[in-house]
Amino acid sequence: MLSVISYPVFALSLILALVFSISLFPMGWFEFRPEWLGLMVFYWTFRAPAQFGILLAWCAGLLLDVLEATPLGVNGLAMAVIAFLVLTIHQRLRMYPMPQQCLMVFLLLGINQMLVHFIKQTLGAEDAGFSYLWPALTSALVWPVVCILLDNLNRKLG
Amino acid sequence: MAGGAAIKTIFVQGPVPGFRLLLVIVISAVLIVADARFDRVTSVRSAIGTGLAPVHWLGNAPYELQDWVAGLFTTRDDLLAENEDLKARLLILERRALKYAALASENNELRRLMNSSEVLDDRVIVGEIVGVSPDPFSHEVIINKGSRDGVTVGQAILDAHGLMGQVQQTSSFTSRVLLVSDSSHAVPVEAVRNGLRAILLGNGDINSLELVHVPDTADIREGDLLVSSGLGGRFPKGYPVAEVARITKEPGEPFVNIEATPKARLNQSSLVLVVFSPDGEPDADGNGPGQEDPPVNIGLEPGTGEVR
Repeated sequence: MLSVISYPVFALSLILALVFSISLFPMGWFEFRPEWLGLMVFYWTFRAPAQFGILLAWCAGLLLDVLEATPLGVNGLAMAVIAFLVLTIHQRLRMYPMPQQCLMVFLLLGINQMLVHFIKQTLGAEDAGFSYLWPALTSALVWPVVCILLDNLNRKLG
Repeated sequence: MAGGAAIKTIFVQGPVPGFRLLLVIVISAVLIVADARFDRVTSVRSAIGTGLAPVHWLGNAPYELQDWVAGLFTTRDDLLAENEDLKARLLILERRALKYAALASENNELRRLMNSSEVLDDRVIVGEIVGVSPDPFSHEVIINKGSRDGVTVGQAILDAHGLMGQVQQTSSFTSRVLLVSDSSHAVPVEAVRNGLRAILLGNGDINSLELVHVPDTADIREGDLLVSSGLGGRFPKGYPVAEVARITKEPGEPFVNIEATPKARLNQSSLVLVVFSPDGEPDADGNGPGQEDPPVNIGLEPGTGEVR
């Protein structure tokens, strides 16, 4: 948990996460795109549980729903679940070394992706096997970079 | 460290998260059902989509910058050559259009003599693809024309080579287009050679489509051009959609497996045409047996794509 957080960094990181989720990734590699918004929800609930909670995560998820054209509420629900799980474990999470944090990112974003694809398939999307877990893996790999970058920005600007 | 303050910040959420999560789950479930089954939140989605226009714009900015930089380094000679080239092509196309105008009026004359309805020409506007769907499992693109330009849900989208898809959602500045290759998309088509009608389904592969429910004995060959038949009222008649690529007959099966290649360059085109169907009665010859009830996406709301 950080003692201070910077609200401009917070807003900017969410907007950038939304931009990154629709753009700036090589075509044909979309399956491997990290779940940027999920990472942001994870980071901000982890670092600032008092300010960023389930409702904000849900709103962010709704924006992603509109960008991805999924039924409104699917990503909202999945993001809210991430926020809830981070809130329940964040006291332990703070003690974990980086590799273990990465594992938690993989698990939580995996749960997120699983929920999204479960709901989509219930509504009639195609079964994609287990390939929907790729974003969780790539997110876990970029987590250290994202975490350190945002920590530094928060310390400098907060 | 003063214990009170530290403890306060750690346990700040208390027992509330569980309740909030429950609340959010219930709201989400209601929203999902309202959206997916009853289509009730289109206006909300469209409003949020309009608000997110800057995100689309930011997402597209790097590519525009790249184009702009590339434009800076184009030499005058290249531009002149390109200009000449375009002029030559324009001339060829204009000559063809002259001939086409005469043919169209003659055709209408003949139709009038036969007491059937006249064929009106479609009005189009040009749009540009500004984004592709971030979901790897769906084939959708985003174009830079929205409800402000009169685009409505269900309109057909073409590129220079054939039918690309249809508008699925609109916001003020952008629209989302479902491509013909998406696995939930279907187009009613007919073969140019003999007028054989069938349904062309997308199967999630950008380079191939599936022609379904064609009987074993039907007269169809590899290389046949399939054009939209206009049945169902959603797509305008007569635009090329695909070409039959491979036919496999399985003994014992009632239908043949037919693979077709889309004519439109689904993953290359950047300029597209949005078609406004002219007001008028649907085609008079649209009452063949069995083909009017395609499975998805078409024929549900005939006439919704019509704007004058």
